[in-house]
Amino acid sequence: MTAPFPTPVTDESQRLLSPDELAAALRDIGARRYHNLHPFHRLLHDGKLNKDQVRAWALNRYYYQAMIPIKDAAVLARMEDASLRRIWRQRIVDHDGDAPGDGGIERWLKLAEGVGFTRDYVESTQGILSATRFSVDAYVHFVKERSLLEAIASSLTEMFSPTIISERVAGMLKNYEFITKDTLAYFDKRLTQAPRDADFALDYVQQHATTPQLQRQAMAALTFKCNVLWTQLDALYFAYVAPGMIPPDAWTPGTGLVPEAAAATTAQAAGTGTLGPHDVPRLPRGVRLRHDAVRDQHVLLAPERTFDLDANAVAVLEYVDGTRTVRDIAGLLAEKFTADRAVIEADILVMLNDLATKRVLER
Amino acid sequence: MNAITPNAPALPAPVGLLAELTHRCPLRCPYCSNPLELDRRSGELDTATWQRVLTEAAALGVLHVHLSGGEPTARNDIVEITQTCAKLGLYSNLITSGVGGALAKLDALYDVGLDHVQLSVQGVDAANAEKIGGLKNAQPQKFAFAERVTQLGLPLTLNSVIHRGNIHEVEGFIDLAVKLGAKRLEVAHTQYYGWAYVNRAALMPNKADVDRSIRIVEAARERLKGQLVIDLVVPDYYAKYPKACAGGWGRKLMNVTPAGKVLPCHAAETIKQLEFWYVTDHSLADIWANSPAFTAYRGTDWMQEPCRSCDRREKDWGGCRCQALALAGDAAATDPACSLSPLHAKVRDLATEEAAETPPDYTYRTIGSNVQPNVRSPLNEEVSL
Repeated sequence: MTAPFPTPVTDESQRLLSPDELAAALRDIGARRYHNLHPFHRLLHDGKLNKDQVRAWALNRYYYQAMIPIKDAAVLARMEDASLRRIWRQRIVDHDGDAPGDGGIERWLKLAEGVGFTRDYVESTQGILSATRFSVDAYVHFVKERSLLEAIASSLTEMFSPTIISERVAGMLKNYEFITKDTLAYFDKRLTQAPRDADFALDYVQQHATTPQLQRQAMAALTFKCNVLWTQLDALYFAYVAPGMIPPDAWTPGTGLVPEAAAATTAQAAGTGTLGPHDVPRLPRGVRLRHDAVRDQHVLLAPERTFDLDANAVAVLEYVDGTRTVRDIAGLLAEKFTADRAVIEADILVMLNDLATKRVLER
Repeated sequence: MNAITPNAPALPAPVGLLAELTHRCPLRCPYCSNPLELDRRSGELDTATWQRVLTEAAALGVLHVHLSGGEPTARNDIVEITQTCAKLGLYSNLITSGVGGALAKLDALYDVGLDHVQLSVQGVDAANAEKIGGLKNAQPQKFAFAERVTQLGLPLTLNSVIHRGNIHEVEGFIDLAVKLGAKRLEVAHTQYYGWAYVNRAALMPNKADVDRSIRIVEAARERLKGQLVIDLVVPDYYAKYPKACAGGWGRKLMNVTPAGKVLPCHAAETIKQLEFWYVTDHSLADIWANSPAFTAYRGTDWMQEPCRSCDRREKDWGGCRCQALALAGDAAATDPACSLSPLHAKVRDLATEEAAETPPDYTYRTIGSNVQPNVRSPLNEEVSL
């Protein structure tokens, strides 16, 4: 569309936004930076993670949940207005509950137990990634050190959470047989709590960000908070998806679990189990990659089934020879397609593990 | 490809060939999918003809060949036939009972490039299994056969056909599959065609047992994820929608009988008005494209209501034509297994009724038995096939 008049030349960063414009600008930050966009969440919601990767997520995310009331207490301590405190303290009640066995932290523990962890191990936080701890602690420090406006603005990620929660609950229930509705009870409450909290916080920010500079600070605070969430997923991806570098002392699959879950993990390890970057995949006897001349496509022939393969899958399987590791294969593909090896490795691990689950690929 | 299908360029090529090499079998299972009139040894195709059929199949686009029967290892040339598959790049799947001469031929089959073995198990408890299969001492032979399959490193699938006489053993079949080192297990509820149709009253399980068997399979799939793949075929009569028989009539599969008759599915001969062509008279490509039996119910043009306007018509292709004939008296009717069929409630009631009665004795599969089916029909009349 062509504008009827020349666009007025103004420095956008110096202009005071209307309350609606401010809300839109804040929402735009979420649209671009909120962690629902993170590849780890896409894998989580689409059922592409294996059980141990879901466990790693539940374990690390517990630390975030556990620190939220401490963060909110810090915000509360800075509020001089009793009416504000009355509203804000509800967040602490939501998370801590009014009695033992109640509240958001408890429900998150139930989720962690639901995927096989012992409660003690989760509460100890000894297995979490350092990056999780650093990110969450940075958030607590932020609300203590910055202005009250910035502290409140940083909570505005709640504006975006109902979408991610609905996606997550639906996706996880559909895609993971080990996830039940009870396991995900945490999110039921958040669906009503988050919008209520966000409405209040947005209203506060709109009223108190009265200068262009304050509005900029509020936006920066929300950006910071998006980064707190994003960084945690980066770390999870790096450690548990690709390249699979688990830092020393962080949780490794098979530990911290109740005996039944640990036994199931061991039993699986003896069979095909989950392939990691250092495993050597192979096509067992009875599974053959073949070019189908009649249809001019490659197929994977397997017991009682045929997998139609796209060009990417063929490229991967042509390198599966029973001597190369997943990482070797990712390296060769990275060279061939001039792409990032870590990204390729993550993708092919998903594909190879899918084939392993269908019993047409072994290590 | 255009040379084969000048008038129908959109015709997809078949992906599977069910090669019924012989109807001879040491077992006598009362649910056998073979026709009631079994081919005799004297009428079976010779080795060279099978090799030509396989060559034509590969050129036509077939990827999987299911070497079946009867008991395919009852043929002296099973190794040569398997070797031909390997040379042509066809994926060979041996569908066997594992008894008789099967074990003795297994190593040779492995050496020429057999890809996969599907072994039938009739029951978990040996006495029960041998009663169903009608052969004493079959169970130990099957276990020895399975052991050799996995020793050789061949992938093994166990196939268990589920019915009233073994539905209490579903959990046992799963344990057995794990114990025998199978990668796949088929928990296939009986489909009531051929001999199973004759024996329906003896085989039909009740709904509660069917539901329980499904729950057991679902739990085991989770427990054994990555170790055992379990395919479940649910029984038609209690289903909501029918199965796309053979992936749709004349869309994916060709079935060649021991005598060389080519069928769109293994039960198709029950539809008497169809004209089947023989591999001895026509090429496989010609049969696929032009045989009246294949064109009769291919696609959707033949459909009546409610299929014709149904949005599932290209999902299940109206269900099974043979079942439509057997239950509705019209091979072009909606398969009464479909909840949209006017006969569906009656079919379900019939199943419920039969499952509640004392089961009659099995009519065992026999060559030359001249069995006349005497099966209750939802049309309130006896239907003879």
